[in-house]
Amino acid sequence: MIKVALAGQPNSGKSTVFNLLSGVYQHIANYPGVTVDKKSTTFNYKYETLEIVDLPGTYSFSSYSLEERVAKDFLIDEKPDIIVNIVDASNIKRSMYLTFSLLETGIPVVVVLNMMDIAKDNGLELDIAKISNMLGVQVVSASSAKGIGKDDILDAIVSTYKNSELYSPFEINYEELEPCIKDVESTISINTAPISKRWLAIKALEGDTQVIVKINSEDKSFDESFVKTQENFFHSTYDRDINQFLATFRYDSADVIFHKTVIEHKKGEKTFSQKLDMVILNRWLAFPILALVMFLFYQLAIVGGYKITDYTWPLLAAFKNFVIGVLPEASIATVPLISDFGVWMVNSVNALLNYIPIFIILFALIAILEDSGYMPRIAFLLDRVFRKFGLHGQSTLPLILGGAFTGGCAVPGIMATKGIADERARMATILTVPYMNCLAKVPFYTLLLGAFFASDMGVMMFLISTVTIFIALIVAKIVTSTVLVNRETTPFMMELPAYHIPTIKGVLLTAWQRVWIYIKKVVTIVMAVAVVLFVMLEFPGLSSDQKQYFATQESKALEDFDKAIENNLYYEQIKSKEMVADLLNFYDLYRAKRMNTSTPEAVEKLDADFESKNKIFFELVRANDSDSKKVNRALRNLSKDRNRLLREIKDTKIENSVLGSIGRSMEVVTMYAGFDWKINIAFLSSFAARESAVATLGSLYENNKADSIRAEEAMAQNSGYSDLHAVIMIIFMILTPPCIASMIVIKLQTGKYRWMMFAIFFPITIGIGICIALFNMGLAYGWSGLETMVYFYVGMALIATFLGILPTKKINWKGGFVPKTRGIHSNYEKYNKN
Amino acid sequence: MSLNDLEEGSFCIIKKLDGDKKIVQKFLDMGFVPNSELKVVRNAPLFDPIEVHLKGYNIAIRRSEASNIQVGLL
Repeated sequence: MIKVALAGQPNSGKSTVFNLLSGVYQHIANYPGVTVDKKSTTFNYKYETLEIVDLPGTYSFSSYSLEERVAKDFLIDEKPDIIVNIVDASNIKRSMYLTFSLLETGIPVVVVLNMMDIAKDNGLELDIAKISNMLGVQVVSASSAKGIGKDDILDAIVSTYKNSELYSPFEINYEELEPCIKDVESTISINTAPISKRWLAIKALEGDTQVIVKINSEDKSFDESFVKTQENFFHSTYDRDINQFLATFRYDSADVIFHKTVIEHKKGEKTFSQKLDMVILNRWLAFPILALVMFLFYQLAIVGGYKITDYTWPLLAAFKNFVIGVLPEASIATVPLISDFGVWMVNSVNALLNYIPIFIILFALIAILEDSGYMPRIAFLLDRVFRKFGLHGQSTLPLILGGAFTGGCAVPGIMATKGIADERARMATILTVPYMNCLAKVPFYTLLLGAFFASDMGVMMFLISTVTIFIALIVAKIVTSTVLVNRETTPFMMELPAYHIPTIKGVLLTAWQRVWIYIKKVVTIVMAVAVVLFVMLEFPGLSSDQKQYFATQESKALEDFDKAIENNLYYEQIKSKEMVADLLNFYDLYRAKRMNTSTPEAVEKLDADFESKNKIFFELVRANDSDSKKVNRALRNLSKDRNRLLREIKDTKIENSVLGSIGRSMEVVTMYAGFDWKINIAFLSSFAARESAVATLGSLYENNKADSIRAEEAMAQNSGYSDLHAVIMIIFMILTPPCIASMIVIKLQTGKYRWMMFAIFFPITIGIGICIALFNMGLAYGWSGLETMVYFYVGMALIATFLGILPTKKINWKGGFVPKTRGIHSNYEKYNKN
Repeated sequence: MSLNDLEEGSFCIIKKLDGDKKIVQKFLDMGFVPNSELKVVRNAPLFDPIEVHLKGYNIAIRRSEASNIQVGLL
């Protein structure tokens, strides 16, 4: 098997080359111990088996960034047979810097000059044979975005592999540094083949701790201090810094290649991307364009996606009905535990699967933004704002996905943080996105607003959806200056790559891969959590007294039904309890299915199905003659009675359950914020899936007699809450994490359960603290709900503004007899070291 | 004079890199090597960061980082 590592600088089109070589069969995993994606693929080509691993894109091979460490680890530990280096043909001067680093490793290299089409558009003419001659390796040209070059690359890999005995290691003559390199090289006594000892020696001289540790672990006699001595010797003799010296050599070598092999036909002319940037990054147009792009993004993904769920939801509902059909049926108001469990699980999974259409669109759009080159431009435009709060320009998109407008979803938001170059800012963004306005929280707000703020609904909704931005920024500032303060930060230098038209294949592949991760990882864990929650809600169940009570209620409903239909023509068919139960289930099932059927043909088919199942029952459901109408009416009442009973049983069970007692025990604290145990339970259960907060609250306050009034009215009448209570609940909801799924994504993206726990308990603690304070102030000063919300809003806005202004107090002058450490010369270190 | 002090559209040559090993290495890897030329393309609409053109490509760099790059005008 030929083991191939695909290496290249970011924006060199490396992933399109990988997609071109691999097709759709890609294996995605993480590099050991880190959250960097590792894509690989194995296939046969001309009687050889090739395994291609896509290394993370890196500008060089120093060890200051995670990606570089991962890539270097892979080369040293896995020792691939061939390195395929993807080079941006339109920019050889810079790309070849990495090529020379790769050549020095000693592993045979195949150079792929990618994006030849763009190079041609920019007026560049490359002499490929000459480059190949100068470097002494195979060089092939490709335009991966157009699907050109696959066979050439594979042929070059195979022939390089077959001739690898003839390959002699590549060396750059570093002149003055040569004696030092030779000395260090001679102290490495282990066999490192195929990795060149000389390369390891150079890396050690560069002060690359990762390489030094690696050599040390295998070669105990290796003397680190000798390297240091050599480094100091060089520094004092030639007054040159080794790293700068080496970098200059590599760039000069790249320059030599460029000047000898490339002819520039349009020298001095602006490229298409540069012209486009004059508009897109224009001082006055940049922000309107950004706003437009974000608006379109939001419209397509969230609004458009929701429309699609109108079509996909019936599929999920059909799945649910299918499961209900398979499970044992209920007998009037006695439901078997297994059926309850089955429905619970299907509901939990459906709630997550329902978002998949939105996610597919979202992930595809993100991929388009990434591949087109607009993403780094967003960061360029907004970095100044976000930086003040410890975030990064690249935090924009994750925060918008999380719900910067009327609502979003934390799951894609957190997933979109992957590209953020700065580790601290990336972590801060991951921890901040859950504070944005989750779409599934909206029904909860609507319920409370409808009940208590019917006249101020618009104002309240505006305050709710915009206050989240302030809160997110404040949290970002808090976490970056506390728990994340020691996290690595990277100097902000970000390539603004040439614009590209994304390939359809690339976009779809990325979107699908991300959705698949969601299905595979998130949905499976949520199912496990759902089982635990079910147990906590179901046990210990009803007491014997309560069982007795519900049994009496059930028989009473049956008696009513019996009385209503005695002397009826159909009485013989429904005289036993089992028969009635069957009919009732038949009736409910038909009604449920009929609701999901719209076309006349489908209705006809449904009718035929049910008629063939039970002709007499079907007549009763259809109710065409006076006797069957009577039965039908009685049946409707019975169905209503049953649903009421089932709800009561459910509520009683919740009250008795483990979760219920937790809710009660939490009252000790939450009572100071005005929450009773019912609200606690609603919050607890809502964490499983945000939507269920509404269902739980709604059913807890429903008035059993009055089925016709809406949940909002029932709540306003029956709960005994004031609008202050309601607003405190809303504020708590704003501050709490969206759902289990988003928390699991946090675990996936940070790699640690610890951060997931932090993301759960930090907001809850803060939330309850703020709510207690606001509730008591509200009580003391007699604030109305709206007033409380406005004070909260203004408070958050002021804190955010204050934090935003804070760090601008810096020494912004220079000159005079001053040490170099003062003033703007040391700005980078001052802000990023603390 | 540092890169931070330059106007939009000015050309310069890199003289010296200040700062700790980590940031200097990053400068080198991104193409900011002494004696190479660069052009300040534009300021971001909010003034920070700035976009520069060097070694045939465009790169955004924050002003706090740019102030570590000592340059001479061309």
